[in-house]
Amino acid sequence: MAAIELDGVTKRFGDDSGVLDSLRSSTEADVVTAVRDLSFTVEEGEVFGFLGPNGAGKSTTINMLLDFVRPTSGTVRVLGHDAQKESVAVRRRTGVLPEGYDVYDRLTGREHVEFAIESKESDDDPDELLSRVGLSQEDADRRAGGYSKGMSQRLALAMALAGSPDLLILDEPSSGLDPAGAREMRDIVRAEADRGATVFFSSHVLGQVEAVCDRVGILREGELIAEDSLDSLRDKLESESVLRLEVDGDADLDAVRAVSGVSSVDYDGDKLVVACESDAKTSVIEAVESSGATVADFETDSASLEDIFLAYTEDDREEVPA
Amino acid sequence: MTLESVARKDFRDAIRSRWLMGLTVFFALLIGGSTVLFYGVLLKGAGANSESLFGLTTAPGGLFSFSYAGMLGFVLALIALVTAHGSLIDERESGSLKLLLSLPNSRRDVVFGKLIGRTLVVVASMLVGFVIALFAMLFTGAQVAFVSFAGQVALSGLLATAFVSIGIWLSASSNTPRQALFGTIGLYFIFAVLWSTVATGIPRLFNWAAGKVPGIDPMAAEQIVLTRLFIKYLNPLRAYETLIAQLYGSAAAARLFKAGLQESLVLDPILQESIPVYLSGPFILVVLLAWIVIPPILGYRSFQKSDL
Repeated sequence: MAAIELDGVTKRFGDDSGVLDSLRSSTEADVVTAVRDLSFTVEEGEVFGFLGPNGAGKSTTINMLLDFVRPTSGTVRVLGHDAQKESVAVRRRTGVLPEGYDVYDRLTGREHVEFAIESKESDDDPDELLSRVGLSQEDADRRAGGYSKGMSQRLALAMALAGSPDLLILDEPSSGLDPAGAREMRDIVRAEADRGATVFFSSHVLGQVEAVCDRVGILREGELIAEDSLDSLRDKLESESVLRLEVDGDADLDAVRAVSGVSSVDYDGDKLVVACESDAKTSVIEAVESSGATVADFETDSASLEDIFLAYTEDDREEVPA
Repeated sequence: MTLESVARKDFRDAIRSRWLMGLTVFFALLIGGSTVLFYGVLLKGAGANSESLFGLTTAPGGLFSFSYAGMLGFVLALIALVTAHGSLIDERESGSLKLLLSLPNSRRDVVFGKLIGRTLVVVASMLVGFVIALFAMLFTGAQVAFVSFAGQVALSGLLATAFVSIGIWLSASSNTPRQALFGTIGLYFIFAVLWSTVATGIPRLFNWAAGKVPGIDPMAAEQIVLTRLFIKYLNPLRAYETLIAQLYGSAAAARLFKAGLQESLVLDPILQESIPVYLSGPFILVVLLAWIVIPPILGYRSFQKSDL
């Protein structure tokens, strides 16, 4: 059975005004389409990385899984339940690390976790959960109002883990964590997956999902532009190379983009970075030189996942003639 | 189950923020303190009874009326609104609502759990004030009319709950804390100040319209006064006051408490004969209860529909 199923989901903000909103005039410009005709499935037991740049619609999608936000059209099913009508049933079996949340300033860390355990009617030991996410006894006794962003994030994760959920939904779990914290987060994700839980998590940084995901979906401007395992994404772009050129003078970037086989062109510091098919390298250098600049030096890499991600999410990709 | 845990968490939060403590001190001083002052200093000795303070004071001819309940009603309503108006919108604004709704709590649990939590905060602190008042009367030897006093405490609890309900409604249906705040101030102003203008205005407006449209008869003088009274007691503050007045006297006198001289002259004979259903004690109690039940349902319905 599928853990998460989205079918033709669209979410527009601003055109479903309430009573109070209708008092002020709303124009077409207020209507924002956050997610457009989104369909994908996450299987049970899978670790699914939901990737995309900030503002791509990742959080809106997650908010629809949790019934924080209602789809304008389409259906969302989580763990076999309708995400809107049976949201409580969904959340009874789901652990959530939401985005843009805040802790209760006056409750201690332990009280937060106790509240989560109580709500999920489980018999977990709060201290065990807290130590699992790296919060000490002293931290647990303090009021959460004094926590740093990273500690709050750990606390919210401990709450999400309460009751050994069948599904974990983590929205940007590594935000606010230092590299060591991000690694601990990945270890926990992997341990939960080994236990048999489905993990669905979002990130705008590919490096965080690379190590743990079975499959990724890449979202851009509210649309899913790729959904595959990382291996086959790699295969697809195997023939891709990345050229790093040291250029004297101004190169005509549009001319370079126009070269057949080029997927992206950008400056990285003073170096010109061109992602292209391997056999297009010579044409790229020719195009740079013929636009009036000289190539002082160049090096090539095979495409890294980061480049794949950038290639998929870069805005002007569509304008490049194939 | 989760309704209970939301309510408990909310109540605990009020303890931590010292809001409960603050309110308890406030009501201890207001209700307890005024009772101590009244029976301990102003009205010492024999002949003092609980009605002397908590009953009604009406000067002969109805020129001047004062009730302790009327004063307490204004304060309770304000305190209840202040306590409740931020309950949902503040959490929505800060984002802690997302944490609350990430757990298996339904939006209904959240709205009604908050209603219970905040009601307990206001009612518990108010009760401390009344308990002090009771001991002050017993200690100074004043006669206590227990039934009336208990009724008064119960009605005060209902009034506080009604205004917590109204605050929850505003909090659940607002999009920003500012909106909830201004809505609260506006509603309080309507209930506390503008209502009598509305009560007077509606029959007057009706008669003005009747004068323009042929076929509709304008209301007679006594009809006007009865309508005005009916509208007056739709206001929870006025409903509370007249119900308390009824604890210390006849229903007819309670309905005419604080009425104008002319109004009393017209209505007194009518009410002495028989009180219309819509001005009867049970009906007005139902009005007060409706203010407890309906606002949170409206609030829940709008909260249920909104994107967080």
